[in-house]
Parts: sequence; C-alpha cells; structure tokens
Amino acid sequence: MITSSILVMFGLGLACAVVLSVASKLLAVEEDPRVEAVLDALPGANCGGCGFAGCESYAAAAVRDPDVPADRCCAGGPDVAAKIAELTGKAAGSAEPMVAFRRCAKSEGNVAKRYDYQGVPSCAAAKLLGSPDACSYSCIGLGDCMRACPFDAMYMAHGMVHVITEKCTACGTCVSTCPNHVMQIVPQAARVMVLCSSLDKGKAVSEVCEVGCISCMKCVKECPAKCIALEGGKIHIDHTACLAYGSSCQEVCAEKCPRGILRCLGAAAAARVQEAEAAA
Amino acid sequence: MSFVKEFAKGLWKELPPFRLVLGLCPTLAVTKSAADGLGMGAAVIFVLVLSNAIISMVRKIIPKKVRIACFIVIAASLVVAVELLMQAYAYPLYQSLGIFVPLIVVNCIILGRAEAFASKNPVHLSIADGLGMGIGFTMSLTFLGALREVFGAGKLFGATVFGPDFKPFTFMVEAPGAFVCLGLILGAMNYLAIWQSKRKGLPEPSLAASCGGCRACSIGESKQIMQEG
Amino acid sequence: MNYFEMLIAAIFVNNIILAQYLGCCPFVGCSKDRGVAIGMGAAVTFVASMATAFTWLMQKYVLNPFGLGYLQTLVFILVIASLVQFVEMFLKKMVPPLYKSLGIFLPLITTNCAVLGLAILAQRNEFGLGVSVFYAFSAALGFTLALFLMAGIRERLVISRVPKSMQGTSIGLVMAGLMSLTFFAFQGMIG
Repeated sequence: MITSSILVMFGLGLACAVVLSVASKLLAVEEDPRVEAVLDALPGANCGGCGFAGCESYAAAAVRDPDVPADRCCAGGPDVAAKIAELTGKAAGSAEPMVAFRRCAKSEGNVAKRYDYQGVPSCAAAKLLGSPDACSYSCIGLGDCMRACPFDAMYMAHGMVHVITEKCTACGTCVSTCPNHVMQIVPQAARVMVLCSSLDKGKAVSEVCEVGCISCMKCVKECPAKCIALEGGKIHIDHTACLAYGSSCQEVCAEKCPRGILRCLGAAAAARVQEAEAAA
Repeated sequence: MSFVKEFAKGLWKELPPFRLVLGLCPTLAVTKSAADGLGMGAAVIFVLVLSNAIISMVRKIIPKKVRIACFIVIAASLVVAVELLMQAYAYPLYQSLGIFVPLIVVNCIILGRAEAFASKNPVHLSIADGLGMGIGFTMSLTFLGALREVFGAGKLFGATVFGPDFKPFTFMVEAPGAFVCLGLILGAMNYLAIWQSKRKGLPEPSLAASCGGCRACSIGESKQIMQEG
Repeated sequence: MNYFEMLIAAIFVNNIILAQYLGCCPFVGCSKDRGVAIGMGAAVTFVASMATAFTWLMQKYVLNPFGLGYLQTLVFILVIASLVQFVEMFLKKMVPPLYKSLGIFLPLITTNCAVLGLAILAQRNEFGLGVSVFYAFSAALGFTLALFLMAGIRERLVISRVPKSMQGTSIGLVMAGLMSLTFFAFQGMIG
C-alpha cells in the first residue's frame, strides 16, 4: 500500500508537472513589450475618458490596433500623445481640447423643490427617491461628480456643480457618474451650447422651469449648417460641423431660442455666467 | 520574547475569524455546537502548526514560482493525515464535521499564514504563530459554537443549560443564525477595538477586513498571484 | 431524482453558500460589484464542472483500483490546481475574449472551497459521471445567484447609513443571514 501510494502520487505529480510545463511552452502568449512602455507613459488615472476600460486596455489597443489613434488620452494631453505616438509609430495629431459642461440652469429657471431631501449627501441616493427637484433631469447638486472627478476640477455652488476649465481634462468620469446625465463633454471652443438636458415634453418642462428646453425646434430649423438636431428627446449640437461652418450665421440659433437656453458660451462666456450666478 | 509575542497576537489582536476574517466557511459551518467547534479547531491547530513548521523549514529551497502549489500540497498531505487520525480515534466527530475536514486544505487560514508568515520567518517563530493562530481559531469557533448551541438548543457541550420550560431558538443553529451571529460578533469586535483605541487616544483602528488580506481571495492583487502561481 | 429537480434543489433549496456554507470567502470578498460577481460566478461554474469531471475520473480509474481512497483530498486538490493553471493558459492562447472576462478570477479559484467541496460531495453522494457534472454545474449556478444578489444589495448599501462598527464585512454577514433565511423558505419545495 505504501509503495502504491508513493507511486501514484509520484506519477500524478510528474504527469501534472509535465502537462503544465509542456502547456506553458505551447500556449505561451507573447506580450508586446511596447504595451508596458505605453502603459508607463499614461497617467494611470484609469478614468476611461479614452473610451477604453482603463489605461491598460487603451495601451494594449494603441499598440495592437493601427486604427486606434495615439492621442486618445485626454488626461495626459499632448505630451502623452506625443510619447505614445513615438512608441507606436503613429501620427500624434492634435486633439481638440475638450471640457466637461453642465447642461442645466435650474437656478435661473427657479426650479422648485419637490421635497426636502435630508438623506445621505449623494445624488445617486437622492435619485433613488426620485429627483428632489421638480425637474427630474436637473443637476441635483449633491456632488457625486465632484467627488468622482479624478482631477479635482469641479466645485459646488448655488446648488449646482461648476467646472474649472483649466483643470478639466474631459475624461468623462462625471458624465458617467451623474445619475441625471447632466454632464456632457464638449469642445472648449464650442460656439453654442444647450443648458438643458430635460427629456420631458414642452408643457411639462415649462411647468417646472422657466428656462427649460421645450423642444420647439426653432434652433433646428434656423441653423444654416444643419448641425442642430433633436436626438433622443434632447437638443444635440454637432460641434464639429458648427465650428467648421464658422461665425457667418451669427449664432442665429441662440438668438431665436424663445427660452434663451441656447447660448454662446466660449470659455470666457462661461465665466460670465458664473459671475452672474454669484451676483444672484 | 518574540516567541511569546508571535504566539499571543493570534489570541486577540489578530484573532483569525473575528479580526482577520480568515477561514469563514468552517467558522460558519461547524459551529452548530461547542464540541464541533472545538474538534474543528483542534484539527486546524494540528495542520496549521505542522504546515507552518514544514514550510518554514523548506522555505529556502522552494522556487518562488511554484510556492503556492507547494504550500497546497504540504497542507493537503497534513489534512490527509488528520483525516486518518480522526477516522481512527474520533469517528463521531469526523462524521459530524463531514466535508469540512478535507476542506481544511483550502481554508485561507492555512495558506494565508504560510504566505504571510511561515515563508518569511524561522521555524520556531512559525510554530509560535501557527500555535497562536490555531488556538485563537479554536477559541473563536468554540465561543461561536457555544453561543449557538446555548440559544439554539438550550445545551452546552451536550448538557442541558436551561430548565424544561426553555423553548430553543432554532434559528440560531440553522444557516441564517450562523451568518447573523458571526456578523454581530464582528460588529462587536469592531466596536471594542474602536472603543479601546479611543480610550487610549490612539488613531482609529482599521475595521476587520475581509480575509485578513489573504491574497488568494482579493481581486486587486490577483495579477501578482497570476505571475507567481 | 430527475435532472430538473436536482437543478432546483441545488440552486435554491441547498444553495451552496447560503445553506451549505461553501465558498464564503468570495461571497464576502467578491460581492461589491455586480459585474465582478457575475464574472466570479461564471469562472466558478466553468471550473467546478470541469474539475468535478476530472476528479470523478481520477477517483474511478486511479484511486479506486489501487485502494487509495484516503488520498482523495491530496489528489483532488492537485488535479484542481493543475486544471486551473492549464485552463488559464489555454484560454489566454485560444480564447482571448473569454480570458479577458474570466482571467483575473481563475487563480483565485484553486483555493475556493466550493470547487473542492463540490468534487468531494459528488463522490460522497456516489453520483455517476454525468450526474456529478450536472450537480456541480447547478450548485455553481446557485453560487452565482447568491453572489449576484449580494452584490446588488451591497451596491445599495454603500449609500445607506450603517453604524461605524458594523460597516463592511459585519453588515455583509448579517445580510447574508437574512438572505439565507429567505432561501430557507424554499426548503418545502422539494419533498
């Protein structure tokens, strides 16, 4: 019995060892050393702004897939893009500087409170009970996005979130965090922006908010470049087309908007609104 | 001195199931009665002390890459020994512990101590660590078992505690009671630790973490294990 | 017992975590996110089914003929560890998408008592090969279900106020107890 047990264990151990070592030779996967190098060059914030699951998957994709551009990392900016381009042999290109933007102006619209929320200070928690504001699409203002922001680029004031353009890397963390989908990534140079993200019908919007979008479609009709459309219940501006068209339309969409929520907000104009809010 | 220190830490400061939250499955499963808990604890002491000693002895000749596999094989051999011993000398206990005797081999307390302590320390300290952890584990299991037995069946080590009017609170000996009991004990341990450090003016202690950082079970460090294993 | 009854019994009545206390470590450790829970569950289901098949063959054709039944634990854990390692390498080379979703869970599974426990339980119940594998598969589905439910509760728990000393594992275990109590109600289902 002793001999057989020793033999069996020995044989089994040997068999397992042989199978595994042969398998490790046959099934070895070669890792491209450049992936590691690209990963080192990335900031490692794992913010997901590049559209991949994390820095590691972007690094792998940038090395293996020739169609993935080198400048997708918005957190790292042009420096990182240049490094990745060098490592992967791709053209760096120039990434359009983007910024996060809050599609809500509830303080101007005098949106009433539906109830006085006293729970855990978190938008996601408040959202479980339905939005505390009368509008179900407003910025709840409890700062989930601010806490999620990996770059400290947001602050709360007047019941709403504000973005510090200089710090914002447009990584998109706030976009995916906000339970009301208020945040949006837009080009810093965008000429016109919509300050409402309500999906409600016109009547329902005007009942709760003085400046909410009532989907009247005036802007859509007026735009000479046809770059405004109503998509999924929200007004959507194709900023690339809008910027390409240039200023010859003199922002007719903003002028015609009966609610005054299509606005010319460059980086400078955004600051002006903040000042106005602070004064109010 | 250090021998005593390593031995004593397992008894309170790093009490395996309650502070480190190591080895949950047997803690929940075999604590229907105090005697079962004690028996299980004894089996674990045996395996843990010997595995710590052996691993510590051979720690310098085990290649880093197959370390975990070696630990498992050593533990498994000892578990087989325990199984045979129990079958020979404590058959009723062996039967009431059932499948959890062979499962000692995958109890994170064995691998966790091997990885965290025995593979880095000399033999006598490893034995002290194994002994302390083992006894701490046994104490905890016996305590939990006694608690559940007293309330769930009105008995302690098989002897009736309450008078004939006592209606057993059956919830406690069934599976839900095990989870709730352990959860509440963990909460109480956390509360004690917080209270103690507050009284001494120390910074707040970390709460009982899952599995005492036994690396075999945490996702974040799995990459490292993959490379090593 | 027919297959359907066995499936229901293994998932609900004798849920491997909530009634048999197997695999509690991942139940506490990997139940913070529903995606992770599903990944872990899928990996356990996959490995447990395969491991049960392999260990069944081992028992039948190696241990029993030599009268070495007492080496069961040692041989089973050896087989499972090698199998997990092999599956990991195989998936990495042959099925990279599957490796991507299950890869990080595989090394954790060697020390998961659910896998070894199911292999041994199948032997103790003296099931045939097909039944053993089906049993392991359905029990692992029960594991996945419990993990997923727990993760769902925990995601909500993050935003509720729990006393300081009860936070984390402690409240998790109490909730597991309540879940276990709920699953107790299934006991009458299969007579």
